[in-house]
Amino acid sequence: MGLVGIATEKILSSFSVFLFLTILLLAVARRISTSVLLFGLQSAIIAAEVFATAFQEKLPEVYIVGALVFLIKVVGIPRAFFLLVKRLKTVRDVKASTTPTQSVFIAAAIIYLSYAAVHSYGGAVHVPDDPLAAAVSLILTGAFLMVSRKKALMQMLGLLVLENGIFLAALITTFGMPLVIEIGIFFDILMGLLLMGIFTFRISDTFEHLDVSKLRRLRG
Amino acid sequence: MLIGPTGAPFVLLLVVLGVAVPLILIASRAQSARRLAITLILAASFAGCVVAVFGFLGRSAPRLDLSWATPFPFSLALDRLSAFFLLLVCAVGIPVTIFAGPYFDLHYSERRRNWTWGFFSLFLLSMIVVVTAATGFAFLVGWELMTLVSSGLILIEGDSAERRHNVFIYLLMMHVGAAAVAACFFLFLPYSHSLDFGAIRGSGAGIPAGIRAAIFLAAFVGFGAKAGIIPLHLWLPRAHPIAPTPVSALMSGVMLKTAVYGLVRFAFDFLGGGPPWWGYVVLLAGAVSGLLGVLYAIAEHDLKRLLAYHSVENIGIIYLGLGTSLLFLAYNAPLLAALALIAALLHTLNHALFKSLLFLGAGAISSATGTVDLEELGGLQSRMPVTGTSFLVACCSIVGLPLFNGFISEWLTFRSFLAGSVLTNTKAQVVLPLMVGVLALIGGLAAACFVKAFGVAFLGRPRSAESEHAVEVAVPMRSGMVLLAAACLLIGVSPGLILRPLASLVQGLIPGVGVPEETLNIARIMPWIAATVLGTVALVGAFKRRKRIARTWACGLPGLSSRMQYTSTVFSKPIRFVFARVYRPDRKIEQLPADQPYFPVSISYRSVRTTSYERALYRPFVEVIVSLAYRLRRLQTGNIQVYLLYIFLALVSLLTFLRFQR
Amino acid sequence: MRLTLDILQVLILILGAPLVRAIVARLKARLQRRRGSSVWRPYAELFKLLCKEELVPPTSSAVFRVAPMVLFGATVCAAGFVPVVHASALLGSRGDFFLFVYVLALGRFFLSLGGLDGGSAFGGMGASREALISSLAEAPFLLGLVAIAVLAARADIAGMVAWTLGQNVFNISAVHILALTSLAMVTLAETGRMPVDNPTTHLELTMIHEGMVLEYSGPSLALIEWASAIKLHTLLALLIALFFPWGMASSGAAWGIAVALLLYCAKVAVLMILLSVIESAVAKLRMYLVPDFLGVASALSALAVIFTMWMKR
Repeated sequence: MGLVGIATEKILSSFSVFLFLTILLLAVARRISTSVLLFGLQSAIIAAEVFATAFQEKLPEVYIVGALVFLIKVVGIPRAFFLLVKRLKTVRDVKASTTPTQSVFIAAAIIYLSYAAVHSYGGAVHVPDDPLAAAVSLILTGAFLMVSRKKALMQMLGLLVLENGIFLAALITTFGMPLVIEIGIFFDILMGLLLMGIFTFRISDTFEHLDVSKLRRLRG
Repeated sequence: MLIGPTGAPFVLLLVVLGVAVPLILIASRAQSARRLAITLILAASFAGCVVAVFGFLGRSAPRLDLSWATPFPFSLALDRLSAFFLLLVCAVGIPVTIFAGPYFDLHYSERRRNWTWGFFSLFLLSMIVVVTAATGFAFLVGWELMTLVSSGLILIEGDSAERRHNVFIYLLMMHVGAAAVAACFFLFLPYSHSLDFGAIRGSGAGIPAGIRAAIFLAAFVGFGAKAGIIPLHLWLPRAHPIAPTPVSALMSGVMLKTAVYGLVRFAFDFLGGGPPWWGYVVLLAGAVSGLLGVLYAIAEHDLKRLLAYHSVENIGIIYLGLGTSLLFLAYNAPLLAALALIAALLHTLNHALFKSLLFLGAGAISSATGTVDLEELGGLQSRMPVTGTSFLVACCSIVGLPLFNGFISEWLTFRSFLAGSVLTNTKAQVVLPLMVGVLALIGGLAAACFVKAFGVAFLGRPRSAESEHAVEVAVPMRSGMVLLAAACLLIGVSPGLILRPLASLVQGLIPGVGVPEETLNIARIMPWIAATVLGTVALVGAFKRRKRIARTWACGLPGLSSRMQYTSTVFSKPIRFVFARVYRPDRKIEQLPADQPYFPVSISYRSVRTTSYERALYRPFVEVIVSLAYRLRRLQTGNIQVYLLYIFLALVSLLTFLRFQR
Repeated sequence: MRLTLDILQVLILILGAPLVRAIVARLKARLQRRRGSSVWRPYAELFKLLCKEELVPPTSSAVFRVAPMVLFGATVCAAGFVPVVHASALLGSRGDFFLFVYVLALGRFFLSLGGLDGGSAFGGMGASREALISSLAEAPFLLGLVAIAVLAARADIAGMVAWTLGQNVFNISAVHILALTSLAMVTLAETGRMPVDNPTTHLELTMIHEGMVLEYSGPSLALIEWASAIKLHTLLALLIALFFPWGMASSGAAWGIAVALLLYCAKVAVLMILLSVIESAVAKLRMYLVPDFLGVASALSALAVIFTMWMKR
């Protein structure tokens, strides 16, 4: 089977472990740069998974998807974030509303919940339990990050982690959506990020801070 | 009426404790009469121990039937479980009685001493009746007698409004518990047609599931109130500290165990286990009591209240073992259920031994210094070496360190949790191993608490003049403590002595199991561990070293005073800070004079902790009952015609009922 | 033959402990661009302390003098549980990991009492902080070991090591990764290394372990220092034995033992480098952040136990 084959098999069977690790570390991360690095790591693991799937299922277009994931999510987006952090001159703290202990227990509960949920219908979809549970955990973790972190940049990151989870779920269940849809989704994300970048500058300029919990004018 | 060779000593024990001793004490006030009474109590307890050992080893099972003298069936019998608990009562009773002799002489006037000894003897008798009862009536008589006699002992100690209030709460909660226990027995009545234990046991299989659940819940609440499970433990930290110390030792060490006996008797013997939710309920109660008990204990600086809260914690640990055993029974793993039950029963015995020793140590401290407030003690180890060493043995035992008896039962509990991982496809597969973390946290916090208790009380410098002038207590008090400490060490180093008979006891309760091999493992390895540790200590200690007394460096100040040491409140501050959600103190800082903030004459700081369950659970509950009672009061108008109307209405409704019954 | 090997293992752990500490200190010095002291210095220090006379505070009691001996005895006993060169240990075949953890707790209990007996404020401070940390560190310690024990279906440490030896090294197991992270954090807390406690500090207000031993001198201090070095070495050896034991001798052949010993030294060297890098890179946590640190370790080990239900790997 060759070394590449063995490596592919190992990646496919055990990558979810590392995704869980990144989820737990994201829950306790105290600085924005750490969270961004973890997101980059997560996307790298998912890119590896895409390449491994492409190799195993012998679908050439999935290679292009993998390359896109790598370029955009592992290289492009983290760089954009670091640039934003430097330009905004904001305080580097993540401003979490839960202590690290509570966050990591919530993350552990999220992982348990996703396993419990996936266990019941995973068999019907003919998909191994672990990657699907990892995908659901990523979705829930993204939502949790958006709810519990008060910095606007962390809201963006939470949305990106959520998107990572959805992407992974699609990958596992359908071995990659058609290439056109993938490219479309990527462009949507890029536009969204561009808009969010512009808005964070405006928020920071107008209010002199990026604390989302203080932006309360959205009332009737 | 009597079976076996130990029947006669058993009757003698009861007669002496129940009749002879009180009569002697009523008859005469002389010192010699008292000495005779104490000797009789000791002899009776010793006879009780002998009877219990024979029964525990299965050699004899005496039975005493007194139904000809009483309106309801009253008989006492000694099967292996009863023998184990009888051994517990008598074995703890002997050192406590030896200790209590000089203690009562020191603290009580002549007349009160006789009353105290009389009640003491009756207290022992009531506990013996409870654990050897063979009919429901006997059990309930002993149960109520325990409460009444201990309240009497508390009130003999002193009389004040606060004391009466605490005794009132004690009596109230015990009464509610007794009502629940009585309900347990009466729920059996339609199926067993008699309250004899044998009949109840036989009918256990034929009871429908709903009634079984009701019996279990009633037993849980009734025995839980007596044992001190949170949230039914409100009386424990009020009643135990105000009782005289030997009585506190008996209450904490032995009386709480009768509740465990009751629960084991009902859940395992009569009902034979049940669905898994029984185990989960007991497990949850045990975990909550263990954690909250130790957290409340850490915040205390009154030594007796601290020890009372630790009783709550240890009952929690016992319940953890019992809950695990019930879970294993429900999931058809009888060998593992036996392991967990052995762990719980051994912890019962161990707790009786080391908790009594701790209370006796507190009594010795209060005799020597006049206080049990940790903030006033210090440096007692060099002044009271025997007391200090026995107290240290008890501290190590309650923390669960190897070489002492507490470790053996905690180890067995841990191993039964670990064994829970074999129950695949159940929630228990993951809940039980996670309980290891809970018990580890409880043990860690208990260690922190007892470093504080022993360190602040016995080590360092004395913090008050009384502690500085403390002297070692009388020989009988010392020997009582040394006896208990020796028992703790003995079980800790060679646990096989007690584990083998316990294993065969459990074989009677859970039919068809062998001996769990964990008990054999620990019995084999513990002596080696002891040899290694003690051997290394001896080896290192054999090298004689030159020693010079030199004062502690005081950072250049002329000397250290006792106020510069860590106090008990400060010691527990980090832990109290981390667990602040549990405590929620009300803090008040007052600065005088109020209009000159920068030149205060005095600043006072008050921190009051009302435990949160008291606020959230008891007060609303009490308020609802009181408001209901007020509404019921409207029925009593005082008008005689209204009362006649009530009688008339009762007649009319009876007639209607008769009419529609046909 | 087995018995001699087991005794040899214990001797390696006890006698090699000061060397491990010295090498970590030297690596830290090198990272900080200093020369660092000789790796044999702790042995000279122990010898010096053993020959000195002992100073005892006048207000202390027998507990002060007994505590270091009990600490040393308990730590030596704990060292008898861990396999080093082959999958068996002096006390590790019948003694399980609960015994191991609680024997260490016995030593720690007496050390805290000794700290309080000196009668100074710093001893009480060190004992109070140590009480906080050790009470919170026991739960993740035991839970991490429970996760491995559930997978191995054994509770004795030697049996768990033997089970791990039979596994394929390239099968990544979520349970093991989580348990390793959690146990590594607990090791840092239990042995008083950064980020929980600074072992080289000389500011009393920042001391935890050092604060408890401030009053000790001469042979008692030697015993305490040696015991804490043995504890570090034993816990490192435990991590290696439970998670990377491949290379241990399976038979009693001499060259097998030699190879196993060399491999063990290599693994300990890797751990020592990691430890010195971590100690030089992170700052000491504020004391009230240490419960958060240990809380994360507890959550990781609880998750490891939960994972044993799904991943029997």
